[in-house]
Amino acid sequence: MKVSLKWLAEYVDVPADTKALCDRLDLTGTGVEGVETLGATFDHVVTAQVLTKEHHPDSDHMWVCSVDVGELNQGEDGAPEPLQIVCGAQNFEAGDHIVTAMVGAELPGGVKIKKSKLRGVVSCGMNCSERELGLGGDHDGIMILPEDAPVGVPFAEYAAMTDTVLDLEVTPNRPDCLSMVGMAREVGAMYQVPATDPLRGDAAKLEACTAGAPVGESVGIAIADPGRCGRYNARVIENVKVGPSPAWLAERVAAAGARSINNVVDVTNYILFLYGQPLHAFDYDQLKGADGSVQVIVRPAADGEELTTLDGADRVLTSDMTVIATPERAVALAGVMGGLDSEVTEGTTTVLLETATFDRAHTSRTSRNLGLISEASMRYERGVDGNPIDEVSQAAAALLAEVSGGTVRPGAVDEWPVHVEPVELSFRLGRFDAMMGAQIPADFVRDILRRLGCEVRATADDDVLAVTAPTFRPDLEREIDLYEEVLRLWGMDRIEPTLPAGRERVGVRRPAERVRAVLNDTLRAAGLNETMTYSFGEPGDAERLGLDPDALGLAVEVLNPLNADQSVMRQSILPGLLRAVAYNQSRGVADVQLYELGTVFSAAEGRQKPRERAKVAGVLAGAMHRAGWNQPAVPFDFFDGKGVLESVARELALPKVRFRALDAADAPHLQPGRAAEMMAGGAVIGWVGEVHPLVARAFGAEAPVVAFELDVVALEKAAQPARPYVDVPTFPAVAVDQAFVVGEDVTHEKMAQVMTSAGGKLLEGVALFDVYRDEERVGAGKKSMAYALTYRAPDRTLTSEEVDKAHERLVKKVCSATGAEVRA
Amino acid sequence: MAITEELAALRDDTLQRIEAAATTDELDAVRVAVVGKQGSLTGYLRSMGSVPKEERAAVGRAVNEAREAVEAALEARKATLSAAELTAAIDAAAVDVTLPGRAQQRGTRHLINGIIDEVSEIFLGLGYTVEHGPEVETDYYNFEALNAPPDHPSRSMQDTFYIRDLSGGESAVRGESDVLLRTQTSGVQVHAMEDNPLPIYVIAPGKVYRRDVADPSHLPQFHQIEGLVVDKGITFGDLKGTLEFLCKAVFGPERKTRFRAHYFPFTEPSAEVDVSCGICHGEGCRMCKGTGWLEILGCGMVDPNVLSMSGIDPEEYSGFAFGMGVERIACLKYNVPDLRMLLEGDMRFLRQF
Repeated sequence: MKVSLKWLAEYVDVPADTKALCDRLDLTGTGVEGVETLGATFDHVVTAQVLTKEHHPDSDHMWVCSVDVGELNQGEDGAPEPLQIVCGAQNFEAGDHIVTAMVGAELPGGVKIKKSKLRGVVSCGMNCSERELGLGGDHDGIMILPEDAPVGVPFAEYAAMTDTVLDLEVTPNRPDCLSMVGMAREVGAMYQVPATDPLRGDAAKLEACTAGAPVGESVGIAIADPGRCGRYNARVIENVKVGPSPAWLAERVAAAGARSINNVVDVTNYILFLYGQPLHAFDYDQLKGADGSVQVIVRPAADGEELTTLDGADRVLTSDMTVIATPERAVALAGVMGGLDSEVTEGTTTVLLETATFDRAHTSRTSRNLGLISEASMRYERGVDGNPIDEVSQAAAALLAEVSGGTVRPGAVDEWPVHVEPVELSFRLGRFDAMMGAQIPADFVRDILRRLGCEVRATADDDVLAVTAPTFRPDLEREIDLYEEVLRLWGMDRIEPTLPAGRERVGVRRPAERVRAVLNDTLRAAGLNETMTYSFGEPGDAERLGLDPDALGLAVEVLNPLNADQSVMRQSILPGLLRAVAYNQSRGVADVQLYELGTVFSAAEGRQKPRERAKVAGVLAGAMHRAGWNQPAVPFDFFDGKGVLESVARELALPKVRFRALDAADAPHLQPGRAAEMMAGGAVIGWVGEVHPLVARAFGAEAPVVAFELDVVALEKAAQPARPYVDVPTFPAVAVDQAFVVGEDVTHEKMAQVMTSAGGKLLEGVALFDVYRDEERVGAGKKSMAYALTYRAPDRTLTSEEVDKAHERLVKKVCSATGAEVRA
Repeated sequence: MAITEELAALRDDTLQRIEAAATTDELDAVRVAVVGKQGSLTGYLRSMGSVPKEERAAVGRAVNEAREAVEAALEARKATLSAAELTAAIDAAAVDVTLPGRAQQRGTRHLINGIIDEVSEIFLGLGYTVEHGPEVETDYYNFEALNAPPDHPSRSMQDTFYIRDLSGGESAVRGESDVLLRTQTSGVQVHAMEDNPLPIYVIAPGKVYRRDVADPSHLPQFHQIEGLVVDKGITFGDLKGTLEFLCKAVFGPERKTRFRAHYFPFTEPSAEVDVSCGICHGEGCRMCKGTGWLEILGCGMVDPNVLSMSGIDPEEYSGFAFGMGVERIACLKYNVPDLRMLLEGDMRFLRQF
């Protein structure tokens, strides 16, 4: 909402300090988004006087003038010097006071004034017409000022055209503030000064310009659904001459941010900005039926009905939209925009003026469905007060008659099926103070509510005020709404800050939160850096991972994505992380260690809300660090990823953790032979592996990339609060190193299982310390696995005989169970 | 020569060799040669049997004396030599202490989650619990239960991403849906009021989505931290005090806060909160666009309709709610020049925090 302070000052005292006014507006709920000084476009446009006027030597219709601009043009000696200007206008004489645009001026419409030659004669400026200054005006001649006009002052200053326009952010609950009258009332309440409303006076002017037959004789209105249109008022103005607006009107409309179009349209906009009531002017003759009368029908549009709106767009309507129609056709989109074929044109002589209210919800939906927001729709969707409609219509008709030379037919047709009554409210002063945590005087409460347009009366209870809220404030429906009004105008800065008392509460993290905290901490301790990627996915990401399109469930589709590659929600965090790897690699960062804990989404037929699942995924590419002087760079491989998961398993005390090899069918996104599933307590937790080189390439990343993705909820379920306590040993252990030669198909897991069960109670630990392959020494298809075994008894020192016996049994069992041979 | 004389000569000779030994290895060689198993002095002890009876006592004494003298000398010489050798070893082991150490690289927390952690700690200290809500919401939790019924003008304040509704539901507005990506964490308020016993003191950090094209100052996904208190006797002053405490904890005790009246459908009275600009301290600069203030959050007293819809009696209970943009705080604290950096995963950016 643009508010001209010059205009506003007609209804309320506006403080001279604009900065202070803006601060106060900001603090009381009306955001100031911009402050603009109008008149700046008139730089280098000055008042002047014609000294001489002579025929152009080479032209019959041009004049060479000497124009005095006072001190504003100086010769080389610094003395005032008149400008030589070539001028084609015929309506002036030497001695006339005029308006001159000097070199450097830029006129409305973008015309730049430069020093030029017209048919060989130098011209240092331009004498301006009203039209050239954007002030409307009805003839081509230059603007002649009164004889007493000063010479050589900026035109904007002379014409008192400098104006400050505030661009205000009016919140959606305040339709009343989308008008000058409403803003005047608001400023009056802010400063506790009187504000005036010109409506009565403006409406009273109608009587003087009334003539002709009563409107009701030839105009009928039918409202098909009062739920969509609570009131529809029509007046008819005849003998209208459509033309440019007078300067004052054009200026007002321009200050409010609209373009001056013609006197009729400008009046409707002026009234809209002044009172917040949208109006529409129809060309009466375009609505007339065969019998010469006009039947206005407010009805739902037919599904598929078409209408070309004022902006020239062809609109296809739905039955949820409301149209203004004649019996033959729709002529306007109610509350949003008029139709093109009934608009007021230069040839219009009779105007039907619509002043109406339309339903907020229908208007809002229509506007959103068509992507069409207008000054009218913006106000209707916030709520327009139907009660003063006839007076607004009178004021508008009177002004229209005044500026267009027309006459207004007596009376109006005013269909008013839905009356909105003022809301009666109580204001409990004690409760208000208790809720605000402040003592705000009752006198202040009463004064503010009255200035805002409420009626305030005392009741039998001293603590309670009876308040009638005005119908132009649809947001004042409840007592709390009044509290807000008083608080914001009292000043939130005046409320003493306190902290709520602390009984009956403690701040603790929930168990799931704690699991996530441990998880995050463990991953960071393992050297991974947390990142975030888009929750959106690119269609085809599943295929890029080598998966079936629906392998991760149905993709969740965004109906209105910003772009095609973000049109679904991600089903895995891996694609985002692989893209981050590619991002880093392409910028010369080879060592990448990233993880993200976030949500993935999947849809299912028949289900309204998609399933959300928290996952944690990580990627490792390159090495943990570059080679140092004392440590080599060790490239990441499968076991770095697995090691991260082992740390997670340890920190979360996951029970019975095992890793199972995944084959190409199970995990096509991973390189076969370097892929595993992580399980804990029998439940699948997630996977780890080296990303298949082709998959990495599909995301622009360079292999090898080690990755993992775990289900956070599964981790939360499997996590134990603590591991059981085990006694610290008091007796010495006996260490035995033992190497076995086994076939390649024998896994470490198998070996460890057999040893653990064969070793019995005395075997305390099994640690693999070497895997060795050598065709000659070990044999083809075989490997040597060397284990450090620890034997210990909790209650005594083991004798060598005991250890030898146990170890012998262990070796025997391993050999028989796995086909292992003892390596000499 | 008598045996005792031989022994005396051996002793003297050995003591000389001990004195002459330059290293612990040489010294040990002397030890082995003299008092080792095959040593010359040890030999006398072994051959005591062949010594005539009457000389045995004297010889025995002489052997023991010689042995004690040799062992004492060995001990003393060993201490001297070891000390010298240790000193030499230490000298040789000196390093250039300016060479880089052998550190284990630790990963970093994402800036945004770091701020969420910081704010969560503050509120845990104030007795709040931390809640999480779904990122895909129904229209009801994102708008309607927050007092923004369909067609409420406040809805156009937020550009919403809509999700295809596979349950067959249809929306009144073309291209919209009853299922959407939450535009605010405020929906968690409703879940909290439905699910938690009173009184309620919660914060809810989380990801939210709005249809803004990613550019240096906008992202289509960002984070909010929502707060909700519902208790008996909660005042607007409590709201002010809580948020002032938060701002000072996050931005520093010298920063001021300012409450500007505003409008949100689910709170009344509502306000936006500014913190004084940390660069110009309120004088006005480019950072704060000349105002001296930086907007950081929205808040208000919970609207009685919202309480009623969740089955709480607004005559008995009152409350406040607030929501802040985490990216906004990140920008204010760290001057991040381009919000898109938060989603790129650039190691050189992430490793700074």
